[in-house]
Amino acid sequence: MPWTCAQIEERLSEHLDGLLTREERREFEAHVAGCARCAPLVAQVSGLVGRMHALEPLEEPPQLVSRILDHTLGPRAPAQTGWAKWLSWMRPVSLPRFAMGAVTVLASIFIVFSALGVNPAKMTAASLNPVSIFYNANRRVHLVYSRGVKFVNDLRVVYEIQTRLRPEAAPQPAPEEQPAPPPPNPQQKSEHETKPGQTANRYATVLAIVLTINPGGSLR
Amino acid sequence: MQPDPQLVQLCLRGDGPAWEELVRRHTRRVYNLCYRFTGNGAEAEDLSQEVFLRIYRTLSSYRPAYGGFATWLTSVTRNLLVDHYRRTRRDRVTDSIEDALPKLEEKHSAAHPPDRAALLNELSRQVQSALSQLSPELREAVILRDLQGLDYREVQEVLNVPEGTVKSRINRGRIELARLLEQMGLRPE
Repeated sequence: MPWTCAQIEERLSEHLDGLLTREERREFEAHVAGCARCAPLVAQVSGLVGRMHALEPLEEPPQLVSRILDHTLGPRAPAQTGWAKWLSWMRPVSLPRFAMGAVTVLASIFIVFSALGVNPAKMTAASLNPVSIFYNANRRVHLVYSRGVKFVNDLRVVYEIQTRLRPEAAPQPAPEEQPAPPPPNPQQKSEHETKPGQTANRYATVLAIVLTINPGGSLR
Repeated sequence: MQPDPQLVQLCLRGDGPAWEELVRRHTRRVYNLCYRFTGNGAEAEDLSQEVFLRIYRTLSSYRPAYGGFATWLTSVTRNLLVDHYRRTRRDRVTDSIEDALPKLEEKHSAAHPPDRAALLNELSRQVQSALSQLSPELREAVILRDLQGLDYREVQEVLNVPEGTVKSRINRGRIELARLLEQMGLRPE
């Protein structure tokens, strides 16, 4: 028995969704092919269903997920992505006290390294060997000590020269209290008044003093 | 990616990230269902939030044996939408028609032919406008089947009505929607 228009309308969606049996589908298509009323309806509904299936879901508002999570899990820290996450990790580093601490640590490391004679640029596994660290430290301490000794000796020489060159530099009366300038003394004159012969003479004196105080040593 | 039932188990043990994952995975589906049913973005947002609050409180009552988590979530959403509809029942039909018609005329008189995305957006808006003129029973059936992509059995589970009723509602909803869209000037391709 052929289908009526009412039957076609009733089973239209089942036809579109492939729920009709083969027999039913044949009856359905036979009726629609020859019915001026049903053909446009089937085309219309079929077109609509096809286009609705092709519709993309609407995007939810961006704050919706956080709103839901806030209402269920309680308020949380705002979601961070990419740079924000990286910067949040970096934030404590930018605090002044942290920066101060970091600088202090670096300075200490530098001092300890240089004291141990370890050059960070040329550091190898061998430089971390306790024996070589001790050897290096020992060498550095001796080096520093001998430099100190030499420095003190040099100071002594300089001081001695100064005192020998100005034996009369002892306290003098103020210039206005002197009735007349004292007789010129070559060793008391300022340098620009000194003559070439006197300069050579002075150098000889200095050399003699140095050799007396520091025999065999050298001025550095 | 962990399956939903496993995430639910983790949530029940107090795992916050598992809940977050579950929410992120399903927010769009819930929001779309709410938006298509109410036709209002703000209402859809509030309702989606309410749905997840209810889910969060009743998560222990979900049994994977009863069916998929998505179907369960859809049932909860649908029940909430029906409650909401009963609470705020009012006649929006005339408003929707008045809203839709001038926009259609504007589109037709536009100098430049709209691109595919704009056409799809236009279609989405027209479908929305026509949906709001359907009765809630037909509207929910068409939304679940054609916009949410549920099959007949899932729609039956969500609506909790006999199979024949589901078939009939989907069919009548589609035919009525097609007629409404034709009146609004949308021609079949």
